[in-house]
Amino acid sequence: MARWGMVVDLDMCTGCGACIAACKEENNVAYVSPEEAEKGRAISWMQMVNFVEGEFPNVHIKYMPRPCMHCDNPPCIKVCPVHATFKDEEGIVGQIYERCIGCRYCMSACPYTVKYFNWFEPEWTESTIASMNPDVSLRKKGVVEKCTFCHHRLQKARDKARAKGMEVVDGDYTTACADTCPTQAISFGDLDDPNSNTARLSKSKRAFRMLEDLGTEPKVFYLSEGEKNV
Amino acid sequence: MFDATDYEDFPLIEPIENTGKAFYRTVVVLVAVIVFALFMYVRQLRIGLGVTGLNEPVAWGFYIVNFVFFIGISHAGTLISAILRLSKAEWRRPITRMAEVITAIVLAIGGLHPILDLGRPDRMMNIFQSGRLQSPLLWDVTSITAYFTASTVYLYLPLIPDIAILRDRGTKPKWLYEFLSWNWKGTEYQKKVLERAISILMVMVIPIAISVHTVISYIFSMTLQPGWHSTIFGPYFVVGAIFSGIAALLIVMIAFRKVFHLEGYLKEIHFSYLSILLLIMSLLWFYFTFSEYLTGYFGHEPYEMKVFWYKFAGEYAPYFWTMIFCNFLFPLIILSNKRTRKIPGILAASCGVVVGMWLERLIIVVPSLTNPRLPYPQGVYIPSLTEWSLFAGALSVFVLGFVLFAKFFPVISIWEVREGRERAVREVTERIESYLPTPHGAKSG
Amino acid sequence: MVMNKKNIFIMQIISLSLIWIFVAGISVWILNLLNLSLELSDVPSATIAISLVAIPVFVTIAIVLTYVFVGLQRGNSQDR
Repeated sequence: MARWGMVVDLDMCTGCGACIAACKEENNVAYVSPEEAEKGRAISWMQMVNFVEGEFPNVHIKYMPRPCMHCDNPPCIKVCPVHATFKDEEGIVGQIYERCIGCRYCMSACPYTVKYFNWFEPEWTESTIASMNPDVSLRKKGVVEKCTFCHHRLQKARDKARAKGMEVVDGDYTTACADTCPTQAISFGDLDDPNSNTARLSKSKRAFRMLEDLGTEPKVFYLSEGEKNV
Repeated sequence: MFDATDYEDFPLIEPIENTGKAFYRTVVVLVAVIVFALFMYVRQLRIGLGVTGLNEPVAWGFYIVNFVFFIGISHAGTLISAILRLSKAEWRRPITRMAEVITAIVLAIGGLHPILDLGRPDRMMNIFQSGRLQSPLLWDVTSITAYFTASTVYLYLPLIPDIAILRDRGTKPKWLYEFLSWNWKGTEYQKKVLERAISILMVMVIPIAISVHTVISYIFSMTLQPGWHSTIFGPYFVVGAIFSGIAALLIVMIAFRKVFHLEGYLKEIHFSYLSILLLIMSLLWFYFTFSEYLTGYFGHEPYEMKVFWYKFAGEYAPYFWTMIFCNFLFPLIILSNKRTRKIPGILAASCGVVVGMWLERLIIVVPSLTNPRLPYPQGVYIPSLTEWSLFAGALSVFVLGFVLFAKFFPVISIWEVREGRERAVREVTERIESYLPTPHGAKSG
Repeated sequence: MVMNKKNIFIMQIISLSLIWIFVAGISVWILNLLNLSLELSDVPSATIAISLVAIPVFVTIAIVLTYVFVGLQRGNSQDR
């Protein structure tokens, strides 16, 4: 069984934000008006986190794309009162929109703040409806949503593999953010597959994970920056 | 044994039999506020939780604050009344009933608050069909339901003899008192049954009450969030709950004493005793607050410190220091001084404590959310009109519940007061004699 | 509304049975969740522990209430 994970090479990431846009397009993330976004109601499964290091004038900003960490020990799942968020056998942390009661306990419990709530009924214009991804279900008001590691793509890949009588393996599927990244800073694959490039990168000396000391065991790795050109 | 022409305790029965205009006026005003709150809630249901001030990352706000606050107030009641009954404190007699009523009403209000907070209240049934007892939210559901059931029964059982008094007087509506009095005739056997049941319940109610607020604190302390993930949260919340509960009880007692002219029942000494209890709880509360923040500060963990400074010197500093003043300094000054420990002073201190404890709940819930671990911009939470009006609605439900209860039932337990007059002096004398040291040479008995 | 003794007694019995229906409902609910957690192997130990505490509490409350009701009816016919 695969264990899907992601590695982001911070040396290659330019902070361009293409992954954010691609994610919104791919996953039918609802449009939120600028006024509401100002109030903190915007939904963005992939987010750019800016770590500011050093004092002026020696400031350095580190960009870190932040999807859901798909923790192996997820704090959000433990607290859900209705089995609306769960971890499947392949390690992906999913959210069942049709079951979520909108208590937002998982949002409060997530140390990475990756969960988003639909504060209003999402509005869809005709042009957005036309360009929607038919594979991803739309969320209604009052439920929590988050990055799924493009789970719909996994399902498609699995169907294809099954037709050939095989299992899904590393390389059969990738996420929209990894697909889009112009510098190929994001690689996605099976962390348990010894032949996988992603698995190899995740074991690199440069690899670290966000808030590692919490023991949440995230499956999103980062390759530390600046070590090639010290 | 009860007599319809019995006027000994008429001040307790008068408000039920001769309802004044003030009652109807109060009800109209309260109902108006509640209707407005309902309207705002329906609007929230239709539009979505966007009408509140909640956002990312401040996912919880007023509704959860008020949930914790109201459930905290509920500890006034049953817990205090059970402890006083259990310790055979004779001065409890005119107090227990009001304390129990507070619990029943406030628990119902508090228990509904998480539903106000739900994004999809229409899917409430999911908790029954596919709930997970592992989630602290479900611990709450179970624990609050148990406390509500136990405290309603605990309110009802000691009410039966009083209902029978009203039934025998022929108070209207007759069928209600006939129905609720369960055939009470005051026979020795019936008294024995009732007393046995009350003593079972008062022992049971104490651990249930403690479990309720412990479990509510677990909602926060079971997460990994800075400012929440603390082992003393359980007892800290329970202490705060009893603290705010006593303050609420004192306010209710002072209000009813004034409105129903109960000076003959609720005497200075009752207030003095309860306010000393309030003072002790204030010190205990401060001790817990001090321990909670000192450990955080000493460890100096960066995420913890972000929340710490937000409370001590940041945006929440005004609330934080008001809380310290209201919960600690103010009651300490007023209640430790004999001259100010009079009813006006006690009322002021109690109001201060209720406000301070509400602020404490706010200070626990919001700052941990506005300061997420990752370097996002700091969250801002400004409660909207919807949240304020639902808060006002909840307070009105509390007052309305009390006013309606007082319309139909005596707010002071008549039979217990009478029992006190008949037996207390003898019993207490006997009890004291039983533990007085035996003089040297005399036979011990 | 005319309410004779018999009607009131019937009403009392109905209201008393409500608490038992309530307690039974709570127990069914908790057992359902227990079953679910076993099925999904979702920390059944915690669920069992909570069920063991919660169900007896509710049952005890209902027993106490019933005891008082029965006791009051009996005491009434005995002494007078």
